[in-house]
Amino acid sequence: MPFTKINNKMVEAKIMPGQRVFSQRGSMLAYTGEVSFTPNNMGGQGGVMSMIGRRVANEDTPLMTVEGQGSVMFGHGGHNVQVIDLTGDTLYVEADRLLAFDGTLQQSTMFMGQQGGVMGIVRGQVTGQGLFTTKLDGHGSVAVMAHGGVFELPIGPGQPVHVDPQAYVAHRGQVTNKLSTALGWRDMVGRGSGEAFQLELSGHGVVYVQASEEKL
Amino acid sequence: MAQFRLQGSKVLAVDMAGDSVKARNGTMVAYNGQMNFKKMSGGGDGLRGMVTRRLTGEQMEVMEVKGQGTCFFADKATEVNLVRLNGETLFVESDNLLCTEATLRTGTSFTGLNGMASGNGLFTTKVEGHGWAALTSKGPAIILRVSQGMPLRVDPGAYVAHTGNLNRSLKSGAGWTTLIGEGGGEAMQVEFTGEGLVYVQPSEKLTFGGDV
Repeated sequence: MPFTKINNKMVEAKIMPGQRVFSQRGSMLAYTGEVSFTPNNMGGQGGVMSMIGRRVANEDTPLMTVEGQGSVMFGHGGHNVQVIDLTGDTLYVEADRLLAFDGTLQQSTMFMGQQGGVMGIVRGQVTGQGLFTTKLDGHGSVAVMAHGGVFELPIGPGQPVHVDPQAYVAHRGQVTNKLSTALGWRDMVGRGSGEAFQLELSGHGVVYVQASEEKL
Repeated sequence: MAQFRLQGSKVLAVDMAGDSVKARNGTMVAYNGQMNFKKMSGGGDGLRGMVTRRLTGEQMEVMEVKGQGTCFFADKATEVNLVRLNGETLFVESDNLLCTEATLRTGTSFTGLNGMASGNGLFTTKVEGHGWAALTSKGPAIILRVSQGMPLRVDPGAYVAHTGNLNRSLKSGAGWTTLIGEGGGEAMQVEFTGEGLVYVQPSEKLTFGGDV
């Protein structure tokens, strides 16, 4: 478990020889030891398509590969950072919320349309996060950014959780998502168009929700 | 009875069993169980009291949330403060009111120029009754006691809410601006006299009065 939270907004990663860490480019704050940072135009391990964020202009969240021996401090934009440890399960997270993750994790992209059909596609439009979500599998740590920190809500059989799409950060486990409109929800125009929908997550897992409706 | 509790410092969790709460539109971040959301229209229960800063009256920013389960509310990563009312009146800037129990009455109090100073037009929201209210503040709010012979002066932009029997008056900080160059903004202060509590946040929102 190489990631340690220094405070709410910074994590420290211990880099050992032969172990790689990927991070969002430009998120290194400080480091000690002999560490090299290599821009990663291939977007992590899965080629160009593996990192698709919401930046329409150049739709990828650029990564860098961090290697060597030492410790590196990561942080970005003053956002709160949450460390999530994966033990063989899967984490789905929006690419632009990914601060850093272990090289031991398998990274791929999930087309949101796979889950929830057409509605899954709409979800991408609603959240403004594009139609692709980054998927991380395996054993290792992930550092995720959120506005105002996150809290975890368990999702259990017969216990779906509804999340404001703009407050959704990430989820893990065997979870299907679909867009739902709650009773009376549609005629309540809140802040932004995303209020017309809610993300319904059902199955078995955990969803991470931030204390804000602000995008990063 | 809806149960109000804090989930961390920035999220309000409300456990409901068929009862309802009033919350600002758009502040629901997640819920489990069954929840219904209803737009609240003006009229009854003095909901006109939720006059927004724009004073248009058309922006009714309140919804009624009713159901079984837990609903989570948060507002732009601001801190949440729980206030228990036992029959007293809470005056609060409408921007800072996140959620109230349905048992509480909300209304408007005319504050005249004081409201102008705190950027909230001429009105402040008034909450009365028995039950929980949740306030938001930029940074953790502190609670300051005001008593006879011990008035308190607050920067209008740092004022969040107050309870008790307090009189407000607008003071110009004499010589203040010349001493402290915050580029204006410190020219006006709100003075509280009487008996009560004032909630102050460690941040200053931009206010109309702040430009004076």
